[in-house]
Amino acid sequence: MEKNKLALDIKKIEENFPNNPLEFFKGKKLCLFKACLEKYFPGVRFGIENLLEALGLEVVICENQSCCSGPFFQRNLITRAQFSAINERNLNEIDEIADILLVSCNGCYNSLLRGRDFLKIPEVKDKTEEILKDLDNHMEENKYTEQFKNFDNIDLKIVHDLDFIYLIRNEVAKNLKFDLKGLDVAVHYGCHYLNLDRDKDMETYLKNKTKLEELVALFNGKLVDYSEKELCCGWGASQLVIHPLEALKITYRKLKSAENVKASFILMPCPTCLYTLSKPEFRMKIEELFNDKLEVATIHLNELIAILRGCEAEQCVSLRRQSTRINLIYNIITNNE
Amino acid sequence: MHESSDENWNYNFLKRLVDDVDENRNLLQCIDCGRCVGECPATKISKFNIRKIIRQILRGDKTVLKESDIWYCFLCERCKRVCPRTGINIPILILNLRNESFKKGYGPRYDDLTKYFEMAERFLTSGFVVNNPLDGILPEKRVKELDRICNFARIKYIFDAKYHHPIKLREIFEHKKKKNKEYRDKNGEK
Ligand code: SF4
Ligand code: SF4
Repeated sequence: MEKNKLALDIKKIEENFPNNPLEFFKGKKLCLFKACLEKYFPGVRFGIENLLEALGLEVVICENQSCCSGPFFQRNLITRAQFSAINERNLNEIDEIADILLVSCNGCYNSLLRGRDFLKIPEVKDKTEEILKDLDNHMEENKYTEQFKNFDNIDLKIVHDLDFIYLIRNEVAKNLKFDLKGLDVAVHYGCHYLNLDRDKDMETYLKNKTKLEELVALFNGKLVDYSEKELCCGWGASQLVIHPLEALKITYRKLKSAENVKASFILMPCPTCLYTLSKPEFRMKIEELFNDKLEVATIHLNELIAILRGCEAEQCVSLRRQSTRINLIYNIITNNE
Repeated sequence: MHESSDENWNYNFLKRLVDDVDENRNLLQCIDCGRCVGECPATKISKFNIRKIIRQILRGDKTVLKESDIWYCFLCERCKRVCPRTGINIPILILNLRNESFKKGYGPRYDDLTKYFEMAERFLTSGFVVNNPLDGILPEKRVKELDRICNFARIKYIFDAKYHHPIKLREIFEHKKKKNKEYRDKNGEK
């Protein structure tokens, strides 16, 4: 698959700014994509926003951005062209106010790139154009039709929070108050980061799937390996809604495997995986079904960074919500000073 | 595909499924190695077997559209990652199969569809799939744009599936719109 022009070329930034890649972002407007599931974990947003501001970067939020619509595409409720049209609408709105788009959710990230990939298919591209034309006619504007003519050349570039944090890891590390000493960390990438095939046949910055492990080491934590590291969280594009009893077997298998190696917590870069692996109702159901009470804690990378940076207790409250034993982890980390 | 001889292959069904999807141009080059099955979460919890499904497609066996198996795929893309071939994209193939199944009126089960009702309704009235999203809902004009883009899409027919009654549906929409307007007035949308 050819390279997606929308993806920020991190390799190039590393080459051009070998000493401090952060320099590339100075003076640029960084927009944070509003992932629906951040609602349940406001610390995911807070963690990255607060970090960027502390590093002197300009953060913007796009009022006109909608849900990426991935959930509806995955459920066959909208067509590929409709999915791409929703994507182009979002990208254009964001392009108007920002240079770089940071994404905290694997699902949204994959949708944004996939919507663009679909436009390589002439039939989908034509239909998308038709939809945007109809939209302009209906709204009595000429906005999206005009922008679509040049869609492949918009300046906006997107980057996953994990890739971004990894890129500027040394600057992040300088800003930490605490570390992960004494903690055994298991990592989970999530399918829509781990299994991306955009990097399958070529060398891109996406190829390296050891970024979480390297960050754990950088933050002084001990990495623990577990047999189901690459297994899906169980969400499975709503399998947990359609076939809950079966899908929970996957969630159970994953959590149990991390608990077996006595992981202090599972670190991940996606709020959808976090929702699946943490939701108290799911944990209760697992206990009921498998007669096993699982207590392994779970946390998003952005939340962890906020804790490590020593963010105010009240701001950290949201970080602790909905996550089993996260209070304990929080206390261990903040007593590590 | 060792269980099929050239005689019982039938490309018409395959053609319909992959015709406009460049990512599946090489489905015929599947070497039946089974790596996709070995790492598939759906296979761990159900009768779902993607190799069997590919064989059915290559034989033109449309009963696959009626079977519940195709609704078990997690769309996790693991198979795509481990497949030694390029040009085989199973999750997209599964979505196309489900589309065909929808068109024929087979699946998913009615109950399954209604589970999407609330998220579809939230998307078309507020722009997000969750209630009270972190940054508030989308401005009204933008919601209208989404609604227009989704014209004639299946997302709009779930409403009927849930309530069986178009008038009731309109009432729900109106009620939701009123609530969103109150929210916007309160939160000072420009
Ligand atoms: S995408 Fe579907 S077929 Fe492929 S590994 Fe995941 S569940 Fe199995
Ligand atoms: S991994 Fe690829 S080549 Fe092997 S059986 Fe699956 S689809 Fe065929």
